[in-house]
This record gives sequence, C-alpha cells and structure tokens, in this order.
Amino acid sequence: MFLINCPYCGERDQIEFTCGGEAHIIRPKNPPDLSDDQWADYLFMRKNIKGVQFERWNHSNGCRRWFNVVRNTATDEIIKIYNMGESSPTIKGNEPKTPSGEPKIGSGNISTTFEKK
Amino acid sequence: MLKKEETVLFKKHNIENYSKIKIEEIQNIKKINLRFDPNSKELKSITSKILDIIIPTIPNTYSEKEKQKIIWLGPNEWLIIDSEEKLDDDLLNKSLGDENASVTNISESKTILRISGKKTFSLLSKFLVLDLEKNLSNDHLCVQTIFLKVPILLVRNKNFDNIIEIDIFINRSHVNYIYNILIDGTKNLDF
Ligand SMILES: [Zn+2]
Repeated sequence: MFLINCPYCGERDQIEFTCGGEAHIIRPKNPPDLSDDQWADYLFMRKNIKGVQFERWNHSNGCRRWFNVVRNTATDEIIKIYNMGESSPTIKGNEPKTPSGEPKIGSGNISTTFEKK
Repeated sequence: MLKKEETVLFKKHNIENYSKIKIEEIQNIKKINLRFDPNSKELKSITSKILDIIIPTIPNTYSEKEKQKIIWLGPNEWLIIDSEEKLDDDLLNKSLGDENASVTNISESKTILRISGKKTFSLLSKFLVLDLEKNLSNDHLCVQTIFLKVPILLVRNKNFDNIIEIDIFINRSHVNYIYNILIDGTKNLDF
C-alpha cells in the first residue's frame, strides 16, 4: 500500500489522491510579451525526473486540499510534504535510492543536488 | 427533479445477518454546505451566532448540539446537518451577504445510509481503503474517502449499548449502487 500523509487528514491510501504534476511552475506575469516558444515552455515542458521530484498533490477524495510533495519517482519514497506557497526545501545528502540498488551512473537516476532554473 | 418525499431506493431487503447489521436510509434531513475563511473573525462571529454550535477546526471531527451537527470537510468548508430542519439557511446566507463565503443547500443532492450493528466495520472494510479502527475509533469523528469509485463521507454517531452506528453521506445518484453492494457484502460476514 502506498500511503501519503495529507497535512490535514494524516496517512491515507494513494487512491484518494491526485497528482497535479510538477510544483513551483510560475505563471508568467505578462503572457502577451512572451514568444510562442517561451509560452509553450511554460505550458508543456516538465522535467519528469527519475529521482527526487517536487510535485503538487491534491487530496481529491478527502479534504480536497492541495499541498506539495518531494517524492523519489523511482521508489515512491516521500521525502517531504509541505504547504502550498512555501518555497521548495533543499534536499541534501539524500541520494535517490534505486529500486534494486542499481548503480547511479547509467541507471537514469540523477542526483538530488540538481539546480532548479 | 426528485421530490423530497420520494425515496431513492427502498425495497425491503432480507439481510441474512440482520442481527449483526442493519442498513437504512435516513431522509428529510437538511444539509447545508458552508464555506468561509475561518481566519476572518467577523464571519466567524456571524456564523457562530446563527448556528449556536462550535464550528470544528480539528480535521475529521464534528460538533453536535441537539439535532444539529457541523461536520469538518476542510479548513474552510463544513457540512451542517439538521434533522429537525429548523436551521434557516436563508438567514445565514443573507447575514454573510457579499462576504467571501458561501451557503449552499445540498439537501436534495445527498442522502444518508445508516449502518449499525456489531459487524459494521467488517462490512465496510470490504470496500474501503481506510483504517476504520484508526479513523473512526470513537464518536465525533468523521472521514471523507472513496467507496470503490464513489466519494463518500462517513460519520460515526454516538454509541448506544456499544453498537457502532455509521452514517454514510452519498450523492443520490450513487446510492442504489452502494446499497446493492452493501447488501451483497452482508452475505458472508461470518469469517
Ligand atoms: Zn486531506
């Protein structure tokens, strides 16, 4: 069972939740000023990391609140849960664990020390 | 549109384990969805004056006074249920006026299935992904979850003679589906 700790309701099964994709994507202040490429970048381009990713989740079949989750997409390990509006936490010294201990290089896993744009 | 008097389901079913489980539909209960910012002192004082019950702020709990309950649905959302239909939602609506708040009468869209008996948790746990012993461990607790694919709200009522009694709040359009599944579920409760 994959449990997610809702900031309001506590631990609940994953099927009560909906993933809202990558977190901390800021809507450009003045869209008409952007080129098509920049607008497309904002709308469609997502990191889709194998490893530690910052995501938005919604407790859609519970309290219906949004919150942020730091999740290792390779292992589904949830590293941190924090409220909407908070800036992304720095995750240090937490190399993503690989599902079957495969080496970091060549397995597509990236380090958690990546820098956000 | 359904009239209030019309029952969504009810044919009498013979439940094999009737001594251990009882399922009934509770009708004619006023249900009001209330939303406002709890940080606003003004809105809080208006609502608490009219309602005269404490508005619960602890997640997944409810407060109760006589025939009324206020159920926590979210940090800024509550469900008021009133079995005597005394609550004046028009007054509440008018008093909140143009403030950032909403009062919606959802009496006709939701109905309540009441399950009681010794085997209540055994029956419900067949269909839920929820730890009932933890989330509904005693009265004044409520929980929102899904029943197979259907969103529901479970409310644990006060115990009488140690018999567990749970109210399930469901959309009317889903109630036949859930009722039939529950009836099926009662057939092999003796494990
Ligand atoms: Zn929740």
